[in-house]
Amino acid sequence: MKSKVMNLLWPLGFGIALILVWQLGIFHKILDLKPFQLPVPTEIASTLAANWPKALQDCGVTISGALIGMIIGSFIGFAIAAIATFFPKWGYGGMIVVTALNAVPIVALSPIMNLWFSTGMAQKIGVVTAVCMAAMAINAYSGLNSLNPYSIDLMHSVAANKWTIFRKLRLPNSLPYLFTASKINIASSIIAAIISEYFASSTSGLGFGIKDNLRKAEMAMGWSYIVVASLAGVILYCLILLVERDALKWHASQK
Amino acid sequence: MIGKKDQRTVAIVWVIGIIVVWELMAFLLKNVVHDPMAATKLPYPHVVATTFMENWRMLLEAGAVTFSRAAIGFVLGTSVGILLAVFMSLSKTMERIAFPYLIISQMIPVLGLAPIIFNIVRDMNVSRIVIAAYITFFPVAVNMLSGLKSVEQEKKDLLFSIAANKFKVYQKLMFPFAMSYLFTGLKIAAPMAVTASILVDMLGSKSGIGVKILYALYSDSANIFWASVLTSAFMGIISFYIVIFAERLCLPWQNAVPGKEGVRA
Repeated sequence: MKSKVMNLLWPLGFGIALILVWQLGIFHKILDLKPFQLPVPTEIASTLAANWPKALQDCGVTISGALIGMIIGSFIGFAIAAIATFFPKWGYGGMIVVTALNAVPIVALSPIMNLWFSTGMAQKIGVVTAVCMAAMAINAYSGLNSLNPYSIDLMHSVAANKWTIFRKLRLPNSLPYLFTASKINIASSIIAAIISEYFASSTSGLGFGIKDNLRKAEMAMGWSYIVVASLAGVILYCLILLVERDALKWHASQK
Repeated sequence: MIGKKDQRTVAIVWVIGIIVVWELMAFLLKNVVHDPMAATKLPYPHVVATTFMENWRMLLEAGAVTFSRAAIGFVLGTSVGILLAVFMSLSKTMERIAFPYLIISQMIPVLGLAPIIFNIVRDMNVSRIVIAAYITFFPVAVNMLSGLKSVEQEKKDLLFSIAANKFKVYQKLMFPFAMSYLFTGLKIAAPMAVTASILVDMLGSKSGIGVKILYALYSDSANIFWASVLTSAFMGIISFYIVIFAERLCLPWQNAVPGKEGVRA
């Protein structure tokens, strides 16, 4: 019990100390910054409070793009992994290609999507889809294929066909991996959506807000957008954790 | 399982297949759909290849600027990440303080900070290095720590029983054990460091591959644009394979599988 309290108190104390140091301008002294370059926490908070509806609206635009892209990307990624599982020899080569795709920088994708799609939303969804697809395909593939050898033998001994093995063994086995992929994807989809907005033709959203406010030298507003984006990321991440805890009650990692 | 030679053939067939499909798509877009923007939207791959050949010196120079900054930041972030992981494994208090922040920071869109850091530092090279280091730091620290923590207690007890000191335990047991975890983190971090570096390029740097992308985009030179985008894509892929190569070199006993999942910032 005591250690649980300590687990909470230590990081909390550290966080408060950090914000105090920031607030009192010690960072500014060390790094030789002016307050207008790095606004203090109270200023960020008051700016955010004053512009709350606008920030929330921009956040909604970005998050909805990120979520739609993530859902489409995850489905395509899973489909790729499933196809690769059914055709092991050629599928393995396909997975190498997908792994390479995973290493392609998001910023390089963003201008391509800007050429292909005309609206900011479609461009955003395109970038997020490409990013999420790769991570999901890689994780789903290892989930569908890292099976317990005994289970496979058992399936073969009852003459189960490929489809039955897939449904009864591979699919449940892949579930924890799918959640791992979703947890990775939730953060990267928000990043991808924001980066896409830096360059896309959109005039709303967090990325546009950050860029626009920095251009107008309104640093505090830029920082409040970062705060909102982080909060959204944390909330979505926790949502996935909750679903995971519910869906994987049977799995060892949850016990 | 499939043999090594087979794997290579399959991979080559895939690459050729993709180029053929691309060629076909470009042809369809141009001659069947009659898209007036076809040459910009999806140029023929052989056209892009020739553009690349003609401008390879410029592209490689720009790429080298971006890549070297990413590499410096990557090394810096890796060192800080490893140091923090070691501190956290040494001291319970340190882990209690830092670990929640490591986890939370994974959910924060770090690259969203890029323009802000750029605005604070006001120097392209420094901000490129800072952001690349910052983004490398988290996956490295998290994975390294989980490696250090998964050493079995029995092994540690054995070393302590022959009166090994803490330093020796780390040198002989903990570090070698955590290496494969560290490389998982590095594999995630390497392409992200390149991404960060390119992003800073595009936010208003003077040199680097990102500048070439933007410049080509605005000056309507589609072929240069596609060649630059492909160069930057290859930079990410190359950084990934450099880490895999280093892993094979450092951990020859481990059969590196590309795309092992892990924690990503």
